[in-house]
Amino acid sequence: MSTRSIGQEFTKGLWDENPVFRQLLGLCPTLAVTGWVINGLAMALATTFVLIFSSLVISSIKKLIPAQVRIATFIVVIASFVTIADLFLKAFFYPISEALGPYVPLIVVNCIILGRQEAFSSKNSVGRSFIDALGMSSGFILALLILSSIREILGAGTFLGHQVMGPWFEPWIIMILPPGAFLALGILLGLALHIESKTKSRK
Amino acid sequence: MNLYSRMVIVLTSVGLLSGSFLATVGMLTKERIALNIQQEIEEAIAHVIPGTVSSEKLYEEKGLTIYGGKDKDGSLVGFGILASGVGFQDKIALMLGTNTSLTRTKKLKIIEQKETPGLGAKIEDDDAFLIFWENKDCSDSLSLRKPAANTPEELAPMEINTITGATISSESVLKIVNSSLERVRELIKEGTFQIGEQDVN
Repeated sequence: MSTRSIGQEFTKGLWDENPVFRQLLGLCPTLAVTGWVINGLAMALATTFVLIFSSLVISSIKKLIPAQVRIATFIVVIASFVTIADLFLKAFFYPISEALGPYVPLIVVNCIILGRQEAFSSKNSVGRSFIDALGMSSGFILALLILSSIREILGAGTFLGHQVMGPWFEPWIIMILPPGAFLALGILLGLALHIESKTKSRK
Repeated sequence: MNLYSRMVIVLTSVGLLSGSFLATVGMLTKERIALNIQQEIEEAIAHVIPGTVSSEKLYEEKGLTIYGGKDKDGSLVGFGILASGVGFQDKIALMLGTNTSLTRTKKLKIIEQKETPGLGAKIEDDDAFLIFWENKDCSDSLSLRKPAANTPEELAPMEINTITGATISSESVLKIVNSSLERVRELIKEGTFQIGEQDVN
């Protein structure tokens, strides 16, 4: 059982246990779809939907699940919500679904989701699991938003498709290509560690 | 209850529940998804065959679909050939509009591509690439002009411009167009697909 206050339960996902910057989980979609802000945002929101609903379901049926089949049960629940998210995007946001391609179905294997079920929802109350999922999702949205903003602004000179850089700016195409994802993430991780060590030494 | 039966019961019921839930969601979204795909194709046909009001699927096989575009009187104004093939990075799908005798191109539209942004992805760009595909003689295989010409007028009737720095992507598009046109001509020879004898009503 978690001993944090409800507020801490939420904010831990934003920084202390940020899934991308601190836990290094779910890096596949993080790297793959953050070339454009709109794609990063759609991926983060789809993951949020899956994470919140999976946490709600798992935490409410946790007492019924025998430990031996817990992972299989988690995956079935997660896969169901991923399929719903995929169908919903295909039906109502067709262009975005086309752009995200196979990465929406791949949310099933996103370690953040399975990780939260195993580490949190299967041991805590429904309310706490909801707050935890909300915090982790916000942390994920934040990370993807930062990463995709950097990549789109430097790589194409635009933000959400709007021109933000002047005509003098020559786009660094590499930033919207796969290597750009690694470059940007590497620098951000370094920065996160640097900030962390600074705050620790101050304490 | 012993552990084994509990494991079976829990997994089975979770599976059944999510299965039936998904079936419901699938049923609710199925129509809309099909509509989205159809809409995308219809828009593409209307774009590549100017003057098209309605369209009809005339022939389909793996990697090639032929649509007929009709004007408001219902007479055939051209064919839309939906074809796909391998590009530099991934699959490229395109729609080519031709006249009713399959001898001249009308317009080309790229439906799906994941080429390199800034280079190969220019195959989607009207001014950089697609404009050079308009009104070409396609009664036989088209060829690529390299180094690139600056204006469409500089090109021979059966010549297509290359995108500088993205020869492979340009070639891939050309290959898809040439092989699909060839296949259509083959189908006509075989008698599987007929031109000039479409329903005009």
